[in-house]
Amino acid sequence: MTATAAPARRRPISQTARRAVVTTPAAIRVLMMSLVLLSLTWGAFGGWAANEHSSGASAVVAVDEPLSLDARQMYESLADADVTITTAFLASAQPPLRLLQRYQADIATASADLAKLRTGGGNESPYSALSSGLPRYTGYVADAESQYSLGYPLTGGSFMQVASEEAHLVLLPAAKAVFTQENAALTAASSQATGLPTMIVALVIALIAGVALYRAQRWLTRRTNRVFSAGLMLASALLAISAVWIAAAFGVARSDLDRGIGQGSQPAETLAQASISVQQIRGDAVLNVISRSGDASFQQDFVATSKLVGPGNNTLLTSADAASTGSRQAASLVAAAEREATAWYAANSGVYRLGVAANYGAERNMVIGTGSGSSAAGYAALENDITQAINDDQAVFRSAATAGANVLNPLEPVVIAASLLMAVACVWGFSRRLAEYR
Amino acid sequence: MVALALLTAACGTGTSTGGETAGSRAGPGGTITEAGSGLLDPLAVAWATAYHQQFADVTVTTASVGSGKGIALATAGKIDIGASDAYLSSGDLVKNQNLLNVPLAISAQTIIYNLPGMSQGSHVQLNGTVLAGIYDGTITTWNDPAIASLNQGLHLPDIKIVPIHRSDSSGDTFLFTSYLSTQDPNWNDAIGYGTTAAWPQVPRAKGANGSVNTMNDCEHTPGCVAYNGISYLSKALAGRLGEAALANSAGRYTLPTASAIRDSVGSFVSITPPNETISMIEGPSATGYPIINYEYAVVSTRQPNATKASMIRAFLKWVITTGNDASYVDRVGFQPLPAAVVSLGEAQIAEIGP
Repeated sequence: MTATAAPARRRPISQTARRAVVTTPAAIRVLMMSLVLLSLTWGAFGGWAANEHSSGASAVVAVDEPLSLDARQMYESLADADVTITTAFLASAQPPLRLLQRYQADIATASADLAKLRTGGGNESPYSALSSGLPRYTGYVADAESQYSLGYPLTGGSFMQVASEEAHLVLLPAAKAVFTQENAALTAASSQATGLPTMIVALVIALIAGVALYRAQRWLTRRTNRVFSAGLMLASALLAISAVWIAAAFGVARSDLDRGIGQGSQPAETLAQASISVQQIRGDAVLNVISRSGDASFQQDFVATSKLVGPGNNTLLTSADAASTGSRQAASLVAAAEREATAWYAANSGVYRLGVAANYGAERNMVIGTGSGSSAAGYAALENDITQAINDDQAVFRSAATAGANVLNPLEPVVIAASLLMAVACVWGFSRRLAEYR
Repeated sequence: MVALALLTAACGTGTSTGGETAGSRAGPGGTITEAGSGLLDPLAVAWATAYHQQFADVTVTTASVGSGKGIALATAGKIDIGASDAYLSSGDLVKNQNLLNVPLAISAQTIIYNLPGMSQGSHVQLNGTVLAGIYDGTITTWNDPAIASLNQGLHLPDIKIVPIHRSDSSGDTFLFTSYLSTQDPNWNDAIGYGTTAAWPQVPRAKGANGSVNTMNDCEHTPGCVAYNGISYLSKALAGRLGEAALANSAGRYTLPTASAIRDSVGSFVSITPPNETISMIEGPSATGYPIINYEYAVVSTRQPNATKASMIRAFLKWVITTGNDASYVDRVGFQPLPAAVVSLGEAQIAEIGP
């Protein structure tokens, strides 16, 4: 009888199989590939997030803010063109050359702004209205000029009425729509530049990559009896530097942009709305003079709009005054505008009282006269202060936003370069271990 | 005064006026309400009568309440058509973007006076400067040198002038003060023009509400001078009032004859803008009469329903074509619209819808 040898103690089949399949070199290769992929993922997403914020900030500074400025300027130019040419002919059938030149300069500015704004995209409808309405408007004004110069002031006056209708019914509402559209784009670009979600996701990926690098080094230490892997240490250092850089830069840029928006852009936008309302009040008063209807159909609008403009609680001027903390000069101008608005409203109320009394001569003189206490003088002082305050607030915004954009601009190449170096370092680090098995 | 045309004549044949043919007007009938200009009212009554004769299912009511009130009623949607001697102001149009002003016919304004003993064949010659002097109180008697210098050879009586102006908001006032403003810079600076005016305080000056009262007051007031629409001229002449010849832009004195009105209109037809808002006071024609105007229908482009919109479109098209026939406009001294203005009107009328 043959003695049968006792069978050797067998390892469990699954463990044996795993050993057979996942050898240490194979495991190192898998780890290497995983960490390379993770490094590249960090580079891709981190770079994309950096680009999103950087391009958002750059767009705010280079595109959206200038377009918003152009839109405000276009409205202002159209409103000023209409008031200038209307009051010029109210004063004289042969207005001074400087007023005709001012009207022509306003139209040229509005046309140039329209061309620039149209290339920026957005809802086409207001642009179409402006493109077709502007030549009609200038055509009616030219007809009026022609009639005035021929010595037919009433016919000229009726053409000015038709022109003003075009301005008030087509051009100014369309220009206001463009301004609203461009402001919305500015707000969206600002949100893109300062939004948190993409940056949080990028930093979470960086965290995952950091944990993976740490675990990989521990595994290598246990499996290969090597205390350090220089490649993985280098990759970890690169990850830490790029992640801290992106987080710190974003924090600084976000702070700059938020300051620019809060202390510059927002008060400027509030003042721009006040400016549009002030120009509307002025335009309506002039329209009422040339209407000669003997009523005060615009008086209610004037009262309502003046309550919106302020000063007073929750009014545009007072809100802008409170928000203009970035520029002492802007705050001082807004405070002056608040005082001037109150005086101007009193003059404008007088204009409507004269209109209701059919005292057209005095009403006209009050509207077109430039003496102290006249509606025209009050409007000019108020609008001048508001415009200067807007310029100051926009300078605050531009400075802060540019600083923020400058901080964000180098982030994308930094993150991408760091991730590529991380991948190379991982390959280098694991390759040295693999070489020991050959 | 309210003139209500409620007629029951049989249907006749109408004239085709485009998409909606007056003679073949289909659909349910109803009432169209019109109110406004006293100047237009006599013709509006004739149109309402004739239209009802052709289309028995449509009744047009008319009311002479003055242009200002006509515009206000149309703006408030209380009537279908406001009649006005003045175009809608830009303020009205900006506040009420659905309103149109569509010319219905061409009218003129006359200056009438009551000078006892003066032959109706002799027409006192006046210009804007002298009329402004009368209405601001600096010229107080008919034999004032300023008037006499314009009327050499004409015996002017030594009686006080009684200037009558409209007390209501009136297109006639708009036209008259426009003429004064054009010819007299001082009037333009101090008073200006409009449907109402801040009339200077002048002894004996009177205000009259409406065209009929203006004419009647002048008939009963020796020394009176007043402005009134040409549609009341035949009645004024029948009431022994005189009719002034007015200085035009060339300095010539003209009466509101058919040819003088047509001459004046001729220079404005080609420049009338698409919304037909235009002042024709003191045009360039050397032979033209200086105070002429389109009589406007003020109407909303947004009617309460398609039936009402269709009725108004058909009626207005009929007015500017069939209604402009000499058999209608001649009886009130109006002139028909030129073809180019009819085309502009038709384009505007086509905008009226529900």
